[in-house]
Amino acid sequence: MSASATGIQRENEKPVSPKPTLRVLLVEDDPADRELILRELAKGEFEISSAVAQTPEEFRQRIKSQVPDLVLADYNLGTWRGTDALEILRAENLDVPLILVSGTVGDMIAVECIKQGVTDYVLKDSLARLPAAMRGALHDKGMREQRKQTLEALDRKVEELARSNRDLEQFAYVASHDLQEPLRMVAAYTQLLGERYRGKLDEQADKYINYAVDGAQRMQSLIHDLLAFSRVGRMETELKNVNCHDLVGQAMKDLQAAITESGAVVNRETLPSLKANGSQLKQVFQNLIGNAIKFHGSEPPVITISARRHEADWLFSVADNGIGIPPEHAESVFTIFNRLHTRVEYPGNGIGLAICKRIIERHGGYIEVVPREGSGTIFKFTLPATVPCEVQECV
Amino acid sequence: MIPTTAEILLVDDNPADLDLTIDALKQSKWPSNVSTVCDGAQALAFLHREGKYDSAQRPNLVLLDLNLPKKDGRAVLANIKSNPTLRRIPIVMFSTSQAPPDIEGCYGLGANSYVSKPATLEAWNAAIQSVNEFWIGCAWLPREENQ
Amino acid sequence: MNFINTDILLVEDTQEDADLAIHALRRENLANNIFIAKDGEEALDFLFCRGTFAERSLDHPPKLVLLDLKLPKIDGIQVLKEIKGDPRTRAIPVVILTSSKEERDLVHGYDLGVNSYIQKPVDFEQFRQMVKTVGLYWMVINQRPAANETTKSAAQGRQ
Repeated sequence: MSASATGIQRENEKPVSPKPTLRVLLVEDDPADRELILRELAKGEFEISSAVAQTPEEFRQRIKSQVPDLVLADYNLGTWRGTDALEILRAENLDVPLILVSGTVGDMIAVECIKQGVTDYVLKDSLARLPAAMRGALHDKGMREQRKQTLEALDRKVEELARSNRDLEQFAYVASHDLQEPLRMVAAYTQLLGERYRGKLDEQADKYINYAVDGAQRMQSLIHDLLAFSRVGRMETELKNVNCHDLVGQAMKDLQAAITESGAVVNRETLPSLKANGSQLKQVFQNLIGNAIKFHGSEPPVITISARRHEADWLFSVADNGIGIPPEHAESVFTIFNRLHTRVEYPGNGIGLAICKRIIERHGGYIEVVPREGSGTIFKFTLPATVPCEVQECV
Repeated sequence: MIPTTAEILLVDDNPADLDLTIDALKQSKWPSNVSTVCDGAQALAFLHREGKYDSAQRPNLVLLDLNLPKKDGRAVLANIKSNPTLRRIPIVMFSTSQAPPDIEGCYGLGANSYVSKPATLEAWNAAIQSVNEFWIGCAWLPREENQ
Repeated sequence: MNFINTDILLVEDTQEDADLAIHALRRENLANNIFIAKDGEEALDFLFCRGTFAERSLDHPPKLVLLDLKLPKIDGIQVLKEIKGDPRTRAIPVVILTSSKEERDLVHGYDLGVNSYIQKPVDFEQFRQMVKTVGLYWMVINQRPAANETTKSAAQGRQ
């Protein structure tokens, strides 16, 4: 009850009287009935400012000059009906509660009116119920408005986030491109210094040059990775039917040198065909298999890739017998440039899993690591198992 | 089959990059005379033999950067490839950008080749060696008297 | 033969020259999938994915076309004209590889938009060296447009 009262107060801006003012538009052709209704209203907790409309034209004019808080309408108005007023409100795109105050209709019509969107129905011979009906109607409207505002605020936030995301993408892309040129100058010329003047200065100078070359090259490789990461966000993810068995095969071909060198065994179980961006999904397999090889234990790596259907998704698993990931790092391994090991132990920038996560999420799936320290790692990810494309097109 | 020293025009606004390229060309086994200009307007003046370039040699090969002051590489490329005399000069784009729209755009305008500027000294030298080896040592280039 | 992911389309009607080129490219590990078209018509069918090559897609063009000029059915210049005249294929690098010593052909080729033009060396060792140089430059150093990637650049082609 108090909620509706506050709702009204806010709309009327100036609470000049202790009672909140309520603008009521009466659609009633009988002066005696109007009098009865107004008397009933005066008893309630609202300060009423009322106006009367008897014809559709008049009604239209009234709601245009000032939007009422509430409409009380008779059902039978001679040439028109209370429900017509409802249509007019709708046509004007106004969300104003309308309560039918009538005595002439039966239950069937009352139910029909409510179905059409009338907020409540009060019989003229039980006008005492009117204040309660009004409170209910105003309360409902307040709730509706609150929800609408919340939704609008949410939409704004989503749009804001999307914009800030786009800005970030743009920033990463531009920065990576524009940074490359001056950085190349530093890298190339320190290298040239190193080549041409090594041993001609003193030992310290050689060391400093090495640091500068190393720093510039590391920066280059970070920028290169940052660019690769931002590219995933900028690419349109065009979905085509792809065969995961083949994609893993292509990934293995690209990793051939590492597989041969490490003596890795890659087991492919039956893998499905699904709709995805082939080159991106291949990248996911390649990064995961590549990681499994890189972080191998004392035994040669054994990697098993499998998939099973789980409800509307395919659940993939890439399991290895490597050094594993401690549980406390299960989340952070997916953060860009996050590394669990020093560069001396394992080279790399910590970009591979961040890219995997980005690709999987862009496909509408999620990826996680099942932590099993010391006894290998299992990466699990889902991809939506969409219906075949012919069917999808018909929908 | 390779009768005379090739004339190469380098168009780049970054003197550091020009030096790297000249240095790499000096080390290659196919001799070349290198001219340099550092913006798009100068490049066109050179090719059209205008102003101070009125006695410039027509190059047999142009290495053209994309991002140039005054007139950018695309505009220079478009001008060359729409000119009946100049269009037969092979243009190798040489740019930091590896962005597909840049690469596609240049081929669309008639670039003969697109080489992206490598990040490291070794790769830079290797790329210039390969450019030299192919274009000067292997390809048959239109010569002045045919143009 | 894998028609889909072809690295090089070699348009050559002389079997010996074709064998030699393939041998040199394979030896240098520069191209795995080489398709040989024996005449201009077959080359165009291949590139435009027609006839026997209907299963191919214009999204997967070869990375390089090595084109002889004197060819049966449709000659090399006509093949070049069609490749460079169609927006779908004009970005495919085409290198003319010919024994013609006609300077007129050379100028005409460049005017029609050939990417480069090479005289076939007669000497075997020189030929092998030439194929190696061509392969290294066009397969490794030269950047091609990204074939089947639908890439949308946020920065609209800035450097």
